Amino acid sequence: MGLDILFKIAGVGILISVIHTALKQAGKEDMAQLCTLAGFAIVLLWVVQLLSQLFTTVQSVFKLF
Amino acid sequence: MEIVQIVGLGFIATLLILVIRSKKPEIAVQLSLVLAIIIFLMVLDKISMVITLIRDLADKANVSQLYLNTILKIIGIAYITEFGAQVCRDAGEGAVAGKIEFAGKVLVLVLAIPIIALVLETIVKLLP
Repeated sequence: MGLDILFKIAGVGILISVIHTALKQAGKEDMAQLCTLAGFAIVLLWVVQLLSQLFTTVQSVFKLF
Repeated sequence: MEIVQIVGLGFIATLLILVIRSKKPEIAVQLSLVLAIIIFLMVLDKISMVITLIRDLADKANVSQLYLNTILKIIGIAYITEFGAQVCRDAGEGAVAGKIEFAGKVLVLVLAIPIIALVLETIVKLLP
């Protein structure tokens, strides 16, 4: 599960940078910016899910309620 | 050989971050955050085993659960604070990391207050 999400995020990052460059070359600056934002949001969704998992685990291990 | 797994994970993540940082620094920060979370989750399983052992020992030694729970809570707060501060510092936001650490210190102090009060009470009782 660990490597899986790492590669997913890295793939999204590389894809976004490629799309960003392509859209910029085509003169669609605002679309490029929007695409960056979308990628960031997708990755943030995964990261937040993982973060909540981490926090619940820490809370259950250390009895932080 | 869990450590080999973790070191390999760290190497792969470092390479990926190096590739991505030049193009998209914000995704690189999230990548390092995910790596930190994964390693934390791996290590936390081991820590929970150690904590159950400590709990058993405390039960055998008749140490009150209050003290143990307080100590465990303080350790948990310290772990989470350190984690958050490191992520912020990695992203170049030293000021935010400083604030998080400050909040962690205050919360630990608040948790420690009952024990400090108890110690002071005991000392006062001992004094004639």
